[in-house]
Amino acid sequence: MRFPLSFWVNGQKAELTVKPNHTLLDVLREELGLTGTKKGCGSGKCGSCTVLLDGRPVNSCLILAPQAFGREVETIEGLAKEGPDGDRPHPLQEAFVEHGAVQCGFCTPGMILSAKALLKADPNPGPEEIKTAIAGNLCRCTGYNKIVEAIQSCAGPAGRGGRGEERG
Amino acid sequence: MSELKVVGRSLPQLDGLDKAMGRTRFVSDLELPRMLHGRILRSPLAHARILNIDVSKARALPGVKAVVTHADTPGIKFGPFSADWEILAGEKVRFIGDEVAAVAAVDEDTAEEALDLIRVEYEELPAVFDPREALAEGAPRIHEGSPGNQAAEFKLETGEVDKALAESFFVYQDSYYTNQVYQAYLEPMGALAEVDSSGRLTLHCGTQIPNMMRMTYARALGVEPEMIRVKVPDYGGAFGAKMENNVHLAAAVLAQKAGRPVKVMNTRQEDFMAANPRVAMYMEIKLGVTKDGFLTAKEVKVIGDAGARLVYSQIIVATACYRVDSLYNFKNVRALGRTAYTNTVPTSCFRGFGNSQATFLLESALDMVAAELRMDPAELRLKNDLGANSVSIHGWEIKSNGLRECVRQATNKAGWREKRAQKEPLKGIGLACCNHVSGNRAFAREFDGGAGIVRVGRDGRIVVFHGESDMGQGQKTTFAQIVAERLGVPLSMVKVAPVDTDISPFGFGSFATRGTLMGGNGVLAAAGEAFRQLAEIAADLLEANPDDIRCQEGRFFVQGAPDVALPFKEVAQEATIKRSGAPVVGVGSYHPPTVMPDPKTKYGNVSPAYPFACQIAEVEVDPETGQVTVTRFVAAHDVGRAINPLATEGQIQGGVTQGLGWALMEDMKVQGGRVLNPNFLDYVIPTSLDVPEIEPILVEPVEPNGPYGAKGIGEPALNPAMSAITNAVFNATGIRIRELPISAERIAAELKKRRG
Repeated sequence: MRFPLSFWVNGQKAELTVKPNHTLLDVLREELGLTGTKKGCGSGKCGSCTVLLDGRPVNSCLILAPQAFGREVETIEGLAKEGPDGDRPHPLQEAFVEHGAVQCGFCTPGMILSAKALLKADPNPGPEEIKTAIAGNLCRCTGYNKIVEAIQSCAGPAGRGGRGEERG
Repeated sequence: MSELKVVGRSLPQLDGLDKAMGRTRFVSDLELPRMLHGRILRSPLAHARILNIDVSKARALPGVKAVVTHADTPGIKFGPFSADWEILAGEKVRFIGDEVAAVAAVDEDTAEEALDLIRVEYEELPAVFDPREALAEGAPRIHEGSPGNQAAEFKLETGEVDKALAESFFVYQDSYYTNQVYQAYLEPMGALAEVDSSGRLTLHCGTQIPNMMRMTYARALGVEPEMIRVKVPDYGGAFGAKMENNVHLAAAVLAQKAGRPVKVMNTRQEDFMAANPRVAMYMEIKLGVTKDGFLTAKEVKVIGDAGARLVYSQIIVATACYRVDSLYNFKNVRALGRTAYTNTVPTSCFRGFGNSQATFLLESALDMVAAELRMDPAELRLKNDLGANSVSIHGWEIKSNGLRECVRQATNKAGWREKRAQKEPLKGIGLACCNHVSGNRAFAREFDGGAGIVRVGRDGRIVVFHGESDMGQGQKTTFAQIVAERLGVPLSMVKVAPVDTDISPFGFGSFATRGTLMGGNGVLAAAGEAFRQLAEIAADLLEANPDDIRCQEGRFFVQGAPDVALPFKEVAQEATIKRSGAPVVGVGSYHPPTVMPDPKTKYGNVSPAYPFACQIAEVEVDPETGQVTVTRFVAAHDVGRAINPLATEGQIQGGVTQGLGWALMEDMKVQGGRVLNPNFLDYVIPTSLDVPEIEPILVEPVEPNGPYGAKGIGEPALNPAMSAITNAVFNATGIRIRELPISAERIAAELKKRRG
């Protein structure tokens, strides 16, 4: 038995049928091939599956697929902007790489989406606000120091996060 | 070395942007046409005889394509260094989580449903969960071939320990315990297996040891190693755990049976139950010193918990017995290490490999000795420093040794002397040091070393092949930097191929903090050979002697005449044309000056280089709750030379954070053989809110045996962190922590008792 689901993913409408017990994470990964959203625990405790649902970070493994009906989902694949020379990465994506905030990279997509939501709500957060915003995203490689630095570099009027928002 | 162009620069990971953009395909992301999803039925009992397994209902479920039990496997007993594993349990199960059967189906839901339809009849047997009880007389026997449950014993005596202890001014004596902790990489273990029409198996698997794993799995499956190909995609962390595991073999057997590709990924809960966490150890120490603080003798007794089968725990216990002896100038040491089977999850490698446990023991003991002698703990370490170009008690030939410099720089940066002198109540500062290896001959056995292949195509593209493993630490970037430096090209021209046992050299893999030194020397040698071939072509074109050819920033020229230069690509193209299409391929290898230690005395140089470190933690202790907060952390590491300082700092910060997690919060709670907290809600690892600023200091004495002077960093980044923190707690409260993790309740109770 499958149910119809219609929602917006990275600005495009997705219409498909889903199993009723499937989560938003299952649908993104298995039905839509958006494997940038990771499955780290399947129970909402590691944050690897973080996506933005109507702009707010959620653990997609805790959202049943039908709950996404009519709503807007943004995944890590939606952050880059198309350009004449290929996709331009989002400033947060560039900052994570440049600051050494990426090691194995499995937590990175979820971490970046949590950071994006933070910068949208508060374009000029301090280190404590940043740490709080990513407290639900576990990282086992980096010790978080360089992640906080990367996000900080995108904050504030001089930060590249602002420029990113301008770009949409 | 001052003219280094690429080595020594802080550069982002080559594939960092793919990861940040969600484009990297991790093991769990892989899919193949007609791929099935596999799941494993695990034992609900800690110790039981299997009387019958009925899989008929599971096989009949629509969508199920294969159900396998022990009868479907070759039934060979195997193991990395032992013969106590079975792919799927035969006569007995030996721990909760032991692999009993496996199912492959068209989707995960169906596979899961099929597991519920398998009926297993068990006859429950008495079980034992504590390694000390397992070694006691009358304990239930876990393996028929091991009466008394002793899986291994390690003995060592050098010098005259009893005499030296008797003559010591002070002998510190106590017992310590380190608990079982979980590696907690973010991507669980798993593999995608496929079998071709000749029966040859390909495993796509996140593994630290692709080549060694292949040898072990060939034994398990009763085939020659050439019938197995291991390919290593990107994978989400490992920290020691991702070596041999039955989850991979279950995928292999299912793929053989189904004739279709099968992917088996552990759920997080299964990963907690069956993915080989750290070896818990009961440890006793006697440590003697002179009045002036010179170490006289050390005796340790270790009992390690192997769990239900041997992965690498016996070597980890051996390491805990003696590696740390080469940190200081010891003259007399004795060790007895016993590894015991229990009916719990098999334990194995976790960053530090036994030296973490031993460093916690020794560095805690030294802190107590310093207190007894009323000596600065930093000074006590320096008094016993071995120094550079020294030979340790076990014959370890230490060339570069940055310990003294690590202590100096860490204490300066942390404000150690001032803070020790002006102590505030319930605030403390603590210090701990460590040594480690960069490769371990005692583990590798057949040989140790590294090899590389550097291929330069007609288009000038440079591809590096190696046989180690990038689990996220940035090894690919490090190897590319080494090759770019040697060839004289920009980093952007160098790519690093994923490890594939059909193509890559036979590398031992990423463990023992060996990747940078062994693999790095291997690809350096290969790049040297590729350069030699290219220089011959360039010499012809430039009408010069090949010995005078240089390459800088991707341009070949004759030494002294840089104005007449040939682009790298042009020389590569000429080489390929001259050789009828053959690319330039440089193959090179590195043979370290190491030996197998003497089986009895353990004397012998096991590693070409030895990293050192000094870490300093500052803590605050809550007087009511006993809660310990780490407020600042300084970590000075002798890395020989940092090939990539940004990546090296990342290793240090990550390692310290894992040590902080172990010291303050991480604990696998096991009751009756059952892991009570197999999830990230109940098993807590540090979040961004738990970690202070971690200030890395890179000490670079330049190691003569290292590629461009580099040693490893992976494991020493963690090793001293626990005792740096517990020594800080001692400084803050006078309470000596002898068990990990630190119990806030016990600290609170002790503080209350003292207040009266």
